[in-house]
Amino acid sequence: MSFLILSEISENLQRGKAKIVVELVQKALDEGIAPDAILNEGLLAGMNVIGEKFKNNEVYVPEVLVAARAMNKGTAILKPHLVAAGVQATGKVCIGTVQGDLHDIGKNLVKMMLEGKGLEVIDLGTDVSPETFVQTAINENCQVICCSALLTTTMGVMEDVVKKAVEMGVRDKVKIMIGGAPVNEDFCQKIGADCYTPDAASAADAAVEFCKG
Amino acid sequence: MKQWLSDMIASDTKTALPILSFPSVSLMGITVRELISDSDRQAEGMKLVADRVKSAVAVSLMDLSVEAECFGATIRVSDEEVPTVIGRLVNDEDEATALEVPAVGTARSGLYVESIRKAVQLITDRPVLAGIIGPFSLAARLLDVTEIMMDCYDEPDMVHTVLEKCTAFLIEYAKAYKAAGANGIIMAEPVAGLLSPALEAEFSSPYVKQIVEAVQDDSFIVVYHNCGDNVLRMTESILSTGADAYHFGNSIDMADMMAKMPTDTVVMGNVDPAGVLRQGAPDTVREATLKVMNKCCSYPNFVISSGCDIPPATPWENIDAFFATVEAYYNHQ
Repeated sequence: MSFLILSEISENLQRGKAKIVVELVQKALDEGIAPDAILNEGLLAGMNVIGEKFKNNEVYVPEVLVAARAMNKGTAILKPHLVAAGVQATGKVCIGTVQGDLHDIGKNLVKMMLEGKGLEVIDLGTDVSPETFVQTAINENCQVICCSALLTTTMGVMEDVVKKAVEMGVRDKVKIMIGGAPVNEDFCQKIGADCYTPDAASAADAAVEFCKG
Repeated sequence: MKQWLSDMIASDTKTALPILSFPSVSLMGITVRELISDSDRQAEGMKLVADRVKSAVAVSLMDLSVEAECFGATIRVSDEEVPTVIGRLVNDEDEATALEVPAVGTARSGLYVESIRKAVQLITDRPVLAGIIGPFSLAARLLDVTEIMMDCYDEPDMVHTVLEKCTAFLIEYAKAYKAAGANGIIMAEPVAGLLSPALEAEFSSPYVKQIVEAVQDDSFIVVYHNCGDNVLRMTESILSTGADAYHFGNSIDMADMMAKMPTDTVVMGNVDPAGVLRQGAPDTVREATLKVMNKCCSYPNFVISSGCDIPPATPWENIDAFFATVEAYYNHQ
């Protein structure tokens, strides 16, 4: 019975059926299934399938977004139960679009893929200063800072984030990842960031590895 | 213009057709903010570019904030970058229903049409194309780019309502460019390239087709531009728009696209405008340009171009290197 309902949660999440996912998550809790099992074998299992399909071009941005929304609504039901059971996220990341840049579709997609991997994500939004990135990482004990940029005129701020992390004495404690249309591996190495990823799925994989330590 | 396209395909020596307009700011010593506010400067900029480079056409600004601003969207303007739409103008079905279709001339649209009117007087040695946004990409700016992706599933009727109004405006806007003397438009539909093929076929191509059918004729072409990731999987739908020519971005292998496109249709792309043209050096520009040309020039309908709009601060030595590479390639051939 528990396997069936967890499978239903996963499948409805993959179809983006947020309302049904919420109902099923509550039903699973009512049946006494452990919250972390609902999370891992229901919600995150569904997002993993979506993530792999996205990598393989079997689903696209809209499908990932509706699936992630279903996951977030299901997770919201679980959260107090997870906290009570002492279940923690597998890592913590702060993400934002750099100062001067207001484009956020890529950042939003990465955020959802990160959450789909079980990471806790602090979304700083757009137009984020280097100080905000680093101070947030310090305050929230983030293992990773993810910086997004769409403009060639704003990508330089990513280097300022790296410098700010050095200045604030946390460069060795936090990994800095970058992404966005104008950036590439050469730029990542040039500015001293830790990782460039070309798409949301690989960003999520990289962040998981960084959080493992 | 249809004959011009046919002649281009028939010619063994092709002229590059990059989306090149914003870098005129450095030729004139002005800011982007000044350029987008002044039709004289826009026309002058197009003329300066045309005098400097051997491009197949002169292209006006690919400024994807103009149309959204006409509907009432808030835009952020800076000295150095193309303007950005911020916020969400339409939030629900009621607001979509109440959304009014603006008249051409609203906000900066009149200024941009005027720039074309002036440009065609100055540039007489090549066609002049006006930049315009595509319907789904415009709707995305009114509904928010992230939200519209989910709205396609949750609120399809609302999205269609907004698309109908966007299309109605874009038809009149394109007609205004036509009346001003433009030889065609380049219609940018990048957000549609993020959709699944099924959603693109429902929410983009049918509306693009309406615009094409309303304005395209023997003397006025529509160039369809889409630099999105998924275009290789939606070629059938994209071709159903009936545009006279197509332009694709650097997220794809151009050779893969050439294999899918009909050989009697001009297809263009796709040197990376940001990573290569803006941030590279002349030698890396040459290398990247030759890479695309070596793979694609065997197709008679291929025309070398940038993958998208070339950023304002792109060094002219890089742009010059691009054109020099193209010229040398065909001279060698």
